[in-house]
Amino acid sequence: MIRIKASPKRIDKRVTDLVHIAEEPLSDNLDDNEKVLQQIFSNCNDLIIRKLTLYKSTRCIAAYLDVLVDESLWNNGLLNPLVKQELEDFDNQGELFEQLKYRLASFVTPQVINNRKEAVQRIVSGDVVLFIESSNAALSFSIKDQLQRQLEEPSSEAVIRGPRIGFIEKLDVNMALIRQRIRTPQLKFEKVILGAASRTDIAIVYFEGKTPQKVVEEVRQRVSKIEMDSILESGYIEESISDHPYSPFPVMQTTQRPDVVSAALIEGKAAVLVDGSPIALVMPITYWYGFQTVEDYYMNFIFASFLRWLRFLFAFMALTLPSIYVAVTTFHSEMIPTGLALSLAAAREVVPFPAMVETLIMEITFDALREAGVRLPRPVGQTISIVGALVIGQAAVQAGIISAPIIIIVSLTGIASFLIPHPEMNQAVSMLRFPMVVCAGTFGLYGVSAAVIAILIHLTNLNSFGVPYLSPLAPLNPSELWDVLIRAPWKIMHKRQRRIRPKMELEEK
Amino acid sequence: MNLRRISFSWLTVFLMLALLTGCWDRTEMDELAFVMASGIDLADDGQVEVTLQIALPTGIPSSLTTGGKAKKPVLVVSAKGKDGMEALGKLQQQLSRRINLGHRGVFVFGEKYARNGIVEAVDTLLRSSESRFNSFILTSSGTTAKEILNSPYQLESIPSIGISNMQDNDFSFSVKTDKFIEMSASLEVSAVTGAIRTINKKTDSETFMIDKSAVYRKNKLVGFLSGKELKAFRLFKGNFNGMRFTVQMEPPKESYKGTVAIQLLQAKTKIRTRIRNGMPEIAVALKATAQIMANDTPTDFNKETNLHSLEKKFSEEMQKEMTSMISRTQNKFKADIVGFGREIHIEHPYFWKKAKSVWADLYTKVPVSVKVDITIERIGRTQAHPNVQAK
Repeated sequence: MIRIKASPKRIDKRVTDLVHIAEEPLSDNLDDNEKVLQQIFSNCNDLIIRKLTLYKSTRCIAAYLDVLVDESLWNNGLLNPLVKQELEDFDNQGELFEQLKYRLASFVTPQVINNRKEAVQRIVSGDVVLFIESSNAALSFSIKDQLQRQLEEPSSEAVIRGPRIGFIEKLDVNMALIRQRIRTPQLKFEKVILGAASRTDIAIVYFEGKTPQKVVEEVRQRVSKIEMDSILESGYIEESISDHPYSPFPVMQTTQRPDVVSAALIEGKAAVLVDGSPIALVMPITYWYGFQTVEDYYMNFIFASFLRWLRFLFAFMALTLPSIYVAVTTFHSEMIPTGLALSLAAAREVVPFPAMVETLIMEITFDALREAGVRLPRPVGQTISIVGALVIGQAAVQAGIISAPIIIIVSLTGIASFLIPHPEMNQAVSMLRFPMVVCAGTFGLYGVSAAVIAILIHLTNLNSFGVPYLSPLAPLNPSELWDVLIRAPWKIMHKRQRRIRPKMELEEK
Repeated sequence: MNLRRISFSWLTVFLMLALLTGCWDRTEMDELAFVMASGIDLADDGQVEVTLQIALPTGIPSSLTTGGKAKKPVLVVSAKGKDGMEALGKLQQQLSRRINLGHRGVFVFGEKYARNGIVEAVDTLLRSSESRFNSFILTSSGTTAKEILNSPYQLESIPSIGISNMQDNDFSFSVKTDKFIEMSASLEVSAVTGAIRTINKKTDSETFMIDKSAVYRKNKLVGFLSGKELKAFRLFKGNFNGMRFTVQMEPPKESYKGTVAIQLLQAKTKIRTRIRNGMPEIAVALKATAQIMANDTPTDFNKETNLHSLEKKFSEEMQKEMTSMISRTQNKFKADIVGFGREIHIEHPYFWKKAKSVWADLYTKVPVSVKVDITIERIGRTQAHPNVQAK
């Protein structure tokens, strides 16, 4: 994205004038108002100014952006009733306003505007603003065109068992999807408008009585501190309100699923929804949420617990397998069982690179293949996988450039990293593999353990909105472990009154 | 702040790794010569000869090498020197890859070398960080270690893997390095190892065989145990898996040989010691259960009296064998290979304080009584053969 730095010196005079004009209250002269609008919206071809005559030949103009307004609602729902309105006699404009307000309320809710700035903002956000002759107020009607796509199953968070519905780019719809699941007035949506240019609606969602007030207050405060021109995706918010924006590990959960957000709210968490983004942010989270999926709670708890351990095991493999391989083969060959050692040595016989270089080459290739597959359209993506599997996998081994065990290690690592259900956690783990391999290649298992300890130290230092990242394991809280090490049956979990206990000694920054 | 802290901690970790560690021993696996077995001999000129059996990874058949004549999967090299280390240094000079002892599974003492004393080799085994304590120690019998390592073996591509697999199973008497070092450093017990010899020499089917055990006294080889004696010794050691005995129950006749064979199922040896008039006395009690494996007599062992007489016969027979084995170690080898010294140390520590320095000589005079009690638990299928039924 290109950002033009707007230093005060560069802003040309016309813009300052316009800002100045917009600050003023509305004039009671209809022509003046029209002129100002034309000036502010110069070169905006989507602005429509329509002149109408109301009862007793009161002149008025309606201004709106036709790309944002629902055309049929405007013509049939508002324009017709407005023009055909049998109004009673009125002495002044105030009375006319009252009458219009009440009579039109059956179609749309009008709102009274008093200054130009608000009028302009209403117009750009898709309202129709009605200016009336010799009145210094205007009426605004919200008849936005509902530009939205179908509700679909989110492809990145598919489930076998569970609802097939996901958030879309429309905030109101997303809010409705949550409200449909939690039908209580305790569910609160606090709307905030952020971004000087984008003026994006943001909703802070929480469950009153369950979400700790301190968490809500912290979210409110951090959101209010955001100073940005535009907010086009929840990622902007995530980075701005994160406790640790420089850490590779996520301290907020992102999801496209209303059932995930609802479950989190009931657990006593808060969420942030952003208009224009189907991704909701859930906070606070701990490290263990990276290994839980919503489906764990829908299926048999024994199998869900098994899956959790499978994920822990494979996440560890995704982080350490290549480095352990490099360390063991280059430093501790006596650790490998004799038979395996001989076949590994035989496989390495023709390879020209040291094991570390070989591993790095293949790991980088794997990540490149994955990234290529994500960005390409589906038919081309197939080509990539064929090239990846045949050319790089098989041919490289046959040509003696790469040894076969490395291919096995890298593929296993790749599969292992896909077992981590949350893409952010997956990214963190995949990225940390590389320094791990370098440590292993220079210092052996000593380096591997040092790197793992370094990562652990970093993890213990993290916290998410006041909740220690490794809790309830560090600091230990045995009663909370029911939902971390296993997925306990609902009977136990229900009794246990799941609640995150935030330690809100947040550092003052 | 945060970024600085992260980068600082990484830098600290790296500096610690770089400055605080001692040895940099990075070697790729294709730069190593994996020694699978090594042997040490005393050459005729008084020098020490070291033989290494090195695995050749290129010779190991894999799916990638197709066609062509298979290479020999091992390389055997030997060199002489003043001591083992010098010989090893000379060997390194003829190899392009670093000698790596991490995978050595078998270590063979040549018979001549062992008779002259093995202290130097034991010290090297103990001192070197590369040699592993779970490799098997063997003594060659009637041949040199070099010859053992050069003899071919059909069942495995690498002969030394064949040797260590043979030792791993209970088919042969086996001693691992840690146990051997412990035994040779101890005053309570004399060291023993398995003994290996070559068979079918100078023929196509030349190979090796492990059917003896070597007895050491004061770290010098004094002789070998084989056959019944080795069996008796293994009973003392509790290393009896699948051990079989055959006795002559009845005099052989035309229609049968009169032998019965049993296999041990469980055995427990109890050693009791007593000090009488300043002289230790040792009583060994072996309780074992067995099953009948073969019966070539007309006796029906379904009958309890017959079974009892069989049990008695076996007990007597085994008692005789164990006693004769003990007297042989006392009179011929003068070596306490069973480890009675250890039992005395445990049961009479004050006596042991005085006796430990003379135990090796005292042992030869200690009376040892053996009592064997065998119970036959299973007689196999009860259907009797014609000889029994004819009765």
